[in-house]
Amino acid sequence: MFEARLLKSGQLKKILEAIKELLKEATFDCSDSGIQLQAMDDAHVSLVSMCLKSTGFDKFRCDRNLSMGINLESMVKIMKCCSNDDIMTIKAQDNADTLTIMFETKNQEKMSDYEMKLMNLDQEHLGIPETNYSCIIKMPSSEFARICRDLSQFGDSLVIACTKEGVKFSTSGDIGSANVKLSQTSTFDKEEEGVTIEMTQAVCLTFACRYLNLFCKATPLSTQVILSMSGDVPLVVEYQIEELGCIRYYLAPKIEEDD
Amino acid sequence: MGITGLAKLIADIAPNAIKESEIKNHFGRKIAIDASMSLYQFLIAVRSEGAQLTSADGETTSHLMGTFYRTIRLMENGIKPVYVFDGKPPQMKSSELEKRNDRRQEAQKALEKAEEDGNATEIDKFSKRLVKVTSTHTAECKELLKLMGVPYVEAPCEAEAQCAAMVKAGKVYATATEDMDALTFGSPVLLRHMTFSEARKMPIQEFQLETVLETMEMSRDEFIDLCILLGCDYCNSIKGVGPKRAIELMRQYKSLENIIENLDVKKYQIPENWPFKDARRLFIDPEITDPESLELKWVDPDEDGLVKYLCGDRGFAEDRVRNGAKKLLKSRSGTTQGRLDSFFTVISTPNKRKIEQAKTTSEANKKSRKGNFAKRGRPLK
Repeated sequence: MFEARLLKSGQLKKILEAIKELLKEATFDCSDSGIQLQAMDDAHVSLVSMCLKSTGFDKFRCDRNLSMGINLESMVKIMKCCSNDDIMTIKAQDNADTLTIMFETKNQEKMSDYEMKLMNLDQEHLGIPETNYSCIIKMPSSEFARICRDLSQFGDSLVIACTKEGVKFSTSGDIGSANVKLSQTSTFDKEEEGVTIEMTQAVCLTFACRYLNLFCKATPLSTQVILSMSGDVPLVVEYQIEELGCIRYYLAPKIEEDD
Repeated sequence: MGITGLAKLIADIAPNAIKESEIKNHFGRKIAIDASMSLYQFLIAVRSEGAQLTSADGETTSHLMGTFYRTIRLMENGIKPVYVFDGKPPQMKSSELEKRNDRRQEAQKALEKAEEDGNATEIDKFSKRLVKVTSTHTAECKELLKLMGVPYVEAPCEAEAQCAAMVKAGKVYATATEDMDALTFGSPVLLRHMTFSEARKMPIQEFQLETVLETMEMSRDEFIDLCILLGCDYCNSIKGVGPKRAIELMRQYKSLENIIENLDVKKYQIPENWPFKDARRLFIDPEITDPESLELKWVDPDEDGLVKYLCGDRGFAEDRVRNGAKKLLKSRSGTTQGRLDSFFTVISTPNKRKIEQAKTTSEANKKSRKGNFAKRGRPLK
């Protein structure tokens, strides 16, 4: 038996919005420590890794480990049927073919439940090695979303160059080129508004704008975003979800042809 | 051709070994293409009003047309193709080749008859059966590939065997052919429908040998024996043993020697002096060029050379050829998107429930084709 109760269904709604463009379907692995999801997009360029801690839920029970194949589009449809501050409960039997999602309003005057068919999915887990990243950039998530959106008008690829002075985003295309440079903020009132850079070595990598823009769908989940980079390894874009867990996106860099 | 009924058998008992995906999902990969197979496809499929395309003096150009445009399509999708041509056929294939020759002669007769009757569909059918890849075709193709800047390899013997060795050595990601015997030769990954026309919208089928063996619970040697039992190009199979019986026999007796010892001779006739051991050796240790000695290099296309070669007598439109050359050049320039699975190791966990379900359903429903249950992404019933 699996049961999880979340006081704000809006949180899960935002999570689904943040991954549904990259993944059509995904397996949610439930255990007593929480819910995990790891999946690559069809083209195997990016990977979504999500982890929701059991302690972040109002109530969480998982007797046996359970893998649920879920069509995200269908789940989004169900989530559209609730308001953001409804209380939500997800339930499934062991070895179940279906998942039950229940919503109740705060005053308990309205209750609704939905049953969704589960799917058999091929799972392709990736072993991600522990990496000490050369550059770790923390910045406001809305700023990052803005830069990605603005610069993607000019070209398909975005170059992210991180040096001691700061981080530079640049792109070029048919109409010309664009550069945005952010320096580390020295004084700031609120922590979430600042830009901080931890760096051991300068890094410069090129990424596809399309994917970065898809990652930015997670912006409503967190005020800050953390970018981790090292030479010739995938970029990590991380959003912390308050009290509940985090979403990490991995993106393979574009590489120069050698032959 | 290839292994009789192997694709269907794998779809039935190891559906998790087959993945279908769009061509663009294979970007960034180097792929060895069985050239004789693709030339044959082009000669059959690239036609206009039922007849092959020809140059001003009546020489066929279908194969050039196909090679040119479909290679461009692959390159545009970020795939780096390398063509592998057949060398001399192995001795053991002679009886198979003879059979094919006989069939061709039959088709020739049927064609003449159809022409007499003026039956257009019959003429079309039999003229397609007469198609043969000649040495002129291959020579012309090699010339074309050279101008396009696409590498090719001349296998000493069977192209599939050479492809398989190149995949094993990590030189390329997969073998692209329709012949299932690439798996028997030990190619870890086999792609089908790679050189099909875009208009057919066929998804690319990807077969993973390791998953096939794991799900069938077989070693590679047992798998080779199974393929010989199913029917390969190099020797006869046992009459009356179909795919179902073949897999049962292999599961029970584990090797062809054991099967021969235990098989009911009254029911099944084992061919006299059955050369299965030679066929097996051919699959395990085929004649190949050491993949490490091959240098695969993709270079810029020679636009003027292509125009000179394809236009003029061969009747290709110059603007289209120049356009194609530009596309080739563009696909080579700039940066390419990296694949995430080349940075991280893939740990596939086969979906146990799906395999079990496939097993029970195929038993329950013997006539079932590749039923829906095996497809990815279907809701549970």
